[in-house]
Amino acid sequence: MDVCKRSLETVRHSRMLGLQVLSAEEEGVRLRLPWREDLVGNPDTGVLHGGAVFALMDHAGGMANSCRLYPAVEITPTIDLRIDHLHAPTPGKAVICDATCYRLSAHVTFVRMTAWEEGDEQGEPVATGQATYTRMKLDRSGRVAS
Amino acid sequence: MSDTLKALVQACRAGEADYQDLIDRVPYARFLGIQVRAQGEELTFILPRNENNLGNPTLPALHGGAVAGFMEQAAIIFILLQMGEPRVPKTIDFTIDYLRAGLYQDTFAECRVTRLGRRIANVHISAWQRNREEPITIARAHFLLSDENA
Repeated sequence: MDVCKRSLETVRHSRMLGLQVLSAEEEGVRLRLPWREDLVGNPDTGVLHGGAVFALMDHAGGMANSCRLYPAVEITPTIDLRIDHLHAPTPGKAVICDATCYRLSAHVTFVRMTAWEEGDEQGEPVATGQATYTRMKLDRSGRVAS
Repeated sequence: MSDTLKALVQACRAGEADYQDLIDRVPYARFLGIQVRAQGEELTFILPRNENNLGNPTLPALHGGAVAGFMEQAAIIFILLQMGEPRVPKTIDFTIDYLRAGLYQDTFAECRVTRLGRRIANVHISAWQRNREEPITIARAHFLLSDENA
């Protein structure tokens, strides 16, 4: 959990978005994206931009990999990610995202994400995601091993 | 849908307003720092090099989410300019393939509408840095255009 919090702090764009780690276990992670005026996609409705939700889900997926791999440290660039926006999150409400790495193969990880409005984590998701990431092992100096 | 948006889209089409005004209406687009360049009828979207969009601090590389958000917004503006009755399209789904790391450089994007239906648009978006033939990411997205049943 502490490792995840610290790693999030180093990712500048995620810090700019105001992402927070709510929990981090081997089975999965939970992240939070606040609703903020400057992250709005449609100024007529005040709904968060899909891109901000995308960044939340992508980061949550990467962190789910780290948790599954822990204590080994690898970097896991995204191969692909698909997001379905099931309905628009209510303006003013934060979005919570759970991500789980459900398969770890030798070179690739497979991750699912689900996002809800804060306070409605048992209800209808606002978005679901499905992603693959590639595993890049690091050597002792922290460089990508060939 | 606000009349101001419709008026702005029409002014952009007529060459009486700057496409940039359309982007600057969107808070998140300003957050990323998106710009647009028009060459005749062709639009190229630009995500200028900005440290706030960095993900991996050591490489350094752009955050995949920032690039995705940039491409999604580019597609939204692109469709808006093609719609008879402009309304902000709602993203149904967005699928991205990362082909190369996004370096700490300016990033460019162009869109191609594969099909613009009455209710749904299918758009292909490609983003590159050094040259157009070597995209760093490609994406495919569907947008809901009509408010009915939304």
